[in-house]
Parts: sequence; structure tokens; C-alpha cells
Amino acid sequence: MAGETVSASSIQNPGSNPPPVNKKKRNLPGTPDPEAEVIALSPKTLMATNRFVCEICGKGFQRDQNLQLHRRGHNLPWKLRQRTSKETRKRVYVCPEKTCVHHHPSRALGDLTGIKKHFCRKHGEKKWKCDRCSRCYAVQSDWKAHSKTCGTREYRCDCGTIFSRRDSFITHRAFCDALAEETARVAASNMSSSVTSVRNGSLNFADGLMRSNVVQNFPSFLKPPVAESEMVDAARAGLSLWMSQAPPLETLTKADDLVLGDVDGDPFASQLSWIYRNKLVPSGSGELISSITLPTSGMEETEAPHSLLLSAPYHYSTQHHHHLVPPAPDTSATAFLQRAAQIGVTASRPTSEAKSPDGNIRYLNTNRSYSAANPGNAMENAADPLRMMYSTRHHVAQKDEGAGGETKDFLGVDAPTICASSLSGWIRIRN
Amino acid sequence: MQNTDPYHRHPSISCLLEPKDPREEEKWAAELIQECAKAIAEKDSSKIHHLLWMLNELASPYGDCDQKLASYFLEALLCRATEAGELCYTTLTSAAEKRHSFVTARRVMLKFQEVSPWTTFGHVASNGAIMEAMEGESKLHIVDISNTYCTQWPTLLEALASRGSDTPHLRLTVVAMVSMGGSVMDEIGRRMVKFARLMGVPFEFHVVSIVSTLGQLTEEELGLRKDEAVAVNCVGALRRVSVEERDAFMRMLCALRPRVVTVVEEEADFTTSRGDLVACFEQCVRFYSIFLGMLEESFSPTSNERFMLEKECSRSILGVLACNGSGVCERREKASQWCERLTEAFATTAFNDDVIGDLEALLERYREGWSLVPAKGDAAGLYLTWKAEPVVWASAWKPIKP
Repeated sequence: MAGETVSASSIQNPGSNPPPVNKKKRNLPGTPDPEAEVIALSPKTLMATNRFVCEICGKGFQRDQNLQLHRRGHNLPWKLRQRTSKETRKRVYVCPEKTCVHHHPSRALGDLTGIKKHFCRKHGEKKWKCDRCSRCYAVQSDWKAHSKTCGTREYRCDCGTIFSRRDSFITHRAFCDALAEETARVAASNMSSSVTSVRNGSLNFADGLMRSNVVQNFPSFLKPPVAESEMVDAARAGLSLWMSQAPPLETLTKADDLVLGDVDGDPFASQLSWIYRNKLVPSGSGELISSITLPTSGMEETEAPHSLLLSAPYHYSTQHHHHLVPPAPDTSATAFLQRAAQIGVTASRPTSEAKSPDGNIRYLNTNRSYSAANPGNAMENAADPLRMMYSTRHHVAQKDEGAGGETKDFLGVDAPTICASSLSGWIRIRN
Repeated sequence: MQNTDPYHRHPSISCLLEPKDPREEEKWAAELIQECAKAIAEKDSSKIHHLLWMLNELASPYGDCDQKLASYFLEALLCRATEAGELCYTTLTSAAEKRHSFVTARRVMLKFQEVSPWTTFGHVASNGAIMEAMEGESKLHIVDISNTYCTQWPTLLEALASRGSDTPHLRLTVVAMVSMGGSVMDEIGRRMVKFARLMGVPFEFHVVSIVSTLGQLTEEELGLRKDEAVAVNCVGALRRVSVEERDAFMRMLCALRPRVVTVVEEEADFTTSRGDLVACFEQCVRFYSIFLGMLEESFSPTSNERFMLEKECSRSILGVLACNGSGVCERREKASQWCERLTEAFATTAFNDDVIGDLEALLERYREGWSLVPAKGDAAGLYLTWKAEPVVWASAWKPIKP
């Protein structure tokens, strides 16, 4: 096609034979099948709407299927109707933006629509604007999906108040007594939560986890990740879902209606709600921990996560058990979050919680380098598990290539310490 | 003479109050107040007495807008007539301070923000300007001189947390008058720290207590550090600087080398007329009748929060009209006047399209009657208008390079 710069290359040796039909196993997004053909399109071509051109009449189509349908109309002889063998080979696409993670073939994305959306979201202009709120989107389908839920969402604070506006919810939450209570309780129970040192292994493990969707069964919480677009769609809840965790938590003890921030159209949240509704998440015991088996797929180093798993749960059950039984149904939400926070404490964040002279906690924002925290700081890291848990959000958000910086990932990198009741602690909530 | 019918006029003054058309009947309070002010200026004591009596008969803090207006201005007029303004103001202030608590301040502020964009307008505009000016900075220091009890910051913290790039370190220094109540600010600070933790934003909170007047604030007290980007946030602040000290105050702000100074003020001029009683009363009546009308239409009829805001109003009115000397008084100026002062040391920066979009979206969420109007002519920035009257002005400034 004229004007298009296409380079096709194989990740492996060009001379190797294509393998037999692959099982449909899902990898991390952006870790393509090594046998696939890498296509690098220019931004212009990527965004062109009619890439598929009929060789007979020159008419352009958005999708290959449409083109094929059209070609039938030309009454071609049978031979020419055949699809070329080239097309049986899987294609993966790289992002044209040089600075992007997905620019490198090893991180190519398998879906053309996916790479288009990615390019728009991350590197494109946000042309689509929501009428109700001020949100802007680069991809039309994102905007449509948002418009469906915008204004229909409710935000519920721990204290029970419901808000229809996010800004008033946030402002309320900042001053709400429920918040003060929650952190007070965490502070009280964080006495001796020690944390084993964080290592790169756990980072990668969690890295994988970040890309995975929330599970329906605990042992399989490393469920293969969904396609990127789905992830993004599933990630709409963000802060609201995270903050409105109170309702789902309450379903532990009372099977009321779930008021999740963004359940509809959100496969992520609906998986979450399934868990809660089925009361797989216990309200107070540490027993479930033993039933968790930690799959090793996706982990590059298995040592650290295992040790984390071992340490935290024991720790959890022995030292915090008495704190974890929620005193009353209406406080179970906070207790739950608190428990989750403790589990989530085995975090990767190498923040040293050195208290500054004026009593405020300083963070070392080391961003991408998840290098091991000093063992000496491990204790301090755990000192405020809630903070750790929440503060890993933005780190994880950086790793998310889906929604152009708007995502918030509640999970952080504490996956190994997963236990049933810490589900909320690491479930990734995206915007 | 016993009558409670607000439309029954005392014979001796009825000639003053011949309604010209039906709608004028509703504005009886403004008229009475003006007449009384005139009488005081003319030192016509019998007329003063008559009008005060009338106002007293008709006024009620629990009535309609006119009755409320009458009630709050009555106090100011009385004090003005008896020259007991300062004393009255001090008494009211200490009573207010006793009542003041974190819980009530929070309740009133949040409720007000829920029903009216009066304060949130300025917050959204300022936060937008701050975010833009601090783009790429990793250490932020916001000097907050506001009267909104830090309700501006949670949304900024969320914005910082979800910025997508590195979350910067935020230091928030709040300048508070001692009268605002030390314990209130401490509690607010605690909540802010917790919330920032929740958001995952590295955060420090510090309060600078001003004992005397805002104009006495110095750079040293703010404790600026070398490696940080400074933003100064003045919401309802500049008017609390006494008129003579305003220019110097702005120079001081400029000397902090901030990336941006956000200014939010209420659109009224109580300064130019401060020598002229009648003119000053006129300005006040005009502004406060808009404000009280807005409160009435925004809140539910039985709202306790509205009542508290109105009480605050009445104290403010007293401060403006009956206090001449020192003490905290809130002599507002209009946008064009502030601009004249600010342009000495600062250049205006426009709000970007996203901020405008945010503001428009914000106004959508409230009742009808509000809109956004860009300032024209001598003034820069944006107005929030209520029923086509500009009421709040928001602007952003950068220091002019020396």
C-alpha cells in the first residue's frame, strides 16, 4: 500500500518453521508469541480507517472481514478467492511511539484494534469528551463506555453516605470520621508486623498479577490476563470502586445488595462481587490462608514470593487475629480493609518510612526501581500497612498501559501474600 | 403600634416607601437600610430612630430574604449609630470562636459546597492552575491562605495521585488566623495527612498562625525550601489584608518566586467607598442581598448550615460597616481593582481548556442559575455568575520576571 511503512520481522530466526497450531494460552499483554510476525505501522497507517483495500476496485475497508465480503461481490474465480498463506501466520503489532514500552517487538500487542486503541490512549489527543463530567478520551469506544456509566454511578463512603458526585465524595471522604477511625485502628494493630525484604522476584510476580484480572477462585488468582481493551474497560472504577469498597465488604456479613462503584459493564468488579456474595471471603479467620496455593507461573523468581506468603499469613493469623474479628457488622468494612492492608504490607515499595522531624512521614518515591528495601526498613514499611497498600497504587498505575495514565491500581505489588480476606487489598481497581 | 404585617408602613415614613411597582415592594429592606444609612450620615436622629424601629419590627433572621437582610443590617446600623461597632464586633467574634469547632466547620463547609458552587468554583479553577503550573515538578509547596478549611485539597491530592507520571511530594502550609481556632486547623491537618496517605501522596502539613493581621505575614514564617516549586493559593484571602497593606503583601508574595498565585475573591467593592457611609452601605446591601438570596435558593428551607452561614454574614457585615480601625475586616474589592494591584508584580495566566471544561462540568451539577463568564476589559480571569450577576472571581498569576 502506498504511503505505508511496514516492516515485518520475526522475533525468532526467520528460517525456523512455524510451530504446530498453538494452544490458546494467554500471556501477559505485550508478550507476544515468539513465532509471530511483527508488524510496525506508522502512526498514519495505524490510524487510517480503511487499511484493507480491494485489489480489484481499490475500495477501502476498516476490517478485513468487510473487505472479504466485498470481494465476494466481484465474482472472482475460486482460486483467487483463497486467502493467502501469509495470513495464517499470527501477526503482532508494535507501537510506533519510540518511547513507548510497546515499541519493542518483544512487547508487541497481538491485536490491531488493541494497538490502535493503545496508541490513541497513550499517545493521542483526547478528542472525545463526556457531556456530564469533564472527562476526555482519545478512543471513541472508551468514551462511549464511560458515558454509559457516568452520572449513574454512586459513591458510598464507609460512613454510609452516598454521593452522586465524585468530587464531593472525595472531599467528604478526606474529612470523614470513618477515615480517621480506620487509620487509627490500623495504627493500633501494626505493632509488630514485620516484613521480609522485598526482592525483585516479587516485583515481577506482582507485575504479572497486575496484568491479571481478578480471580474467581483463590488458587487461580493468577488467572491469565484479559486482552488489553477488556482490561481497560474493566478498569473504569478507579478511585470510586476502591473507596466504595465498604459495600462489598459489608456483604461479608450481610448479604445485601452490592453497591460497587462500577459493577455494570465491569467484568472485573463483577468477578469481585461474585466472590463477596459467595462469602468466600471470611470475616474473621485466618484459616483460609492455608488453602491458598501460590501458582508459580508468571513468576521469574519464586523464592521471595513464597517466603512472603509464608511469613505474612503466619504473621497474620497469629499476631493479628484478635484484631481482625470485626466487632460489628457495620465496622466490618474497615476491619476488612485493615486486614487487607496488613496482608498487603509485604509490599515491594522500597519506601523508607523515616519520620521527618516534624512528625510527618516522608516517602522516597523511587518509582520504577522496585529494588529491595533495606531490611531495616522492612519493619517501618509495615508500620503503616494501609499507607503502603494505598500508596502502591500509583506505582502500579504506571505499569498499566491501558488507560493513558488514568488508572489506579489498588493492588500494588503485594500479590504473594494473598489470602482470601486480603482480596480487597490487592484487587486492582482501575479507573 | 402593633403590627406584624411587613407591608404595613408607619404613617410618618410611608411617603418614603411608596411602592413604585409591585416588585419594589419586595425590596423594602434594601430601601429602609439605605434610608437609615442616609439618616445616620445626616445625623438626623429622629429619622434614624424611626427607621431603626421599623427595621426592628420587620426584621427576622428566620424570615424571608428581606427580613434577614433587615435583621443583619439592623445590627450594623445600630452599631454605626451608636459607634459601638468595634465592641460589638469583638463580642460577636469571641462568641463565634467559642461555637467554632471542627465538626461544625466541616459540616457547614461541606454542605455549602454540596448545594452551591460558590467556593468550589474557585477551588476547581485554582487547582487546575496549580496542576498546570506544577507540571513536571517533583516537590511542591503550596502556601494556602484561604477561608475554606482545606476543602480544596482532597481533590488536588487525588489529581496528583492519579497524574500518571510520578506522584510529587506535596508540602502544604496553611496560613491561619488565630481567630479561626487552632484546634480546628490541627484536626484538619490530621485529616489531610491521613487522606494524603490514603492517596499515596507524600505529604507534609504545616500551619502558620497569624496573630496580628494577614498583612504582617513574612516570607520567613513560611519556611520555604530551595528545591521546591511554590504555589500560593489565596481564596478569600486578599480581602482580609488591610487596605493599606495590600500592595506590600503582593510584593511579598512575588518575592516568594511562586510558579503561580491563584486568587479567588468575591465580586464586591467595599473599599473605594469606605469613607462614604451611604455608598458603602449600598455596596454591602447589594452584595449581601445577592448572597442571601443565593443561600435561600440553594439550601433547603430548614437548613441549619445555611443559618450558620448567615450568622457569619451578619458578623462580616458588621465588620465592614461598623468597624473603621484595625481588626479583621473584609473589605472586598472588585476584580478590576485586584487586577490593578496585582499587575504591579504579576502577569495574568489564562486557565487552560481543561480547567474551563472542568468548571463548566462543575456548574452543571448544581441548580440552575449559575454560569461561567470570562472577565473582560480591565480584569482577567473568570467570573462565576449567579442570575447573571458576577459574584465570585477566579484568576491565576505568575510573577513578572525581574
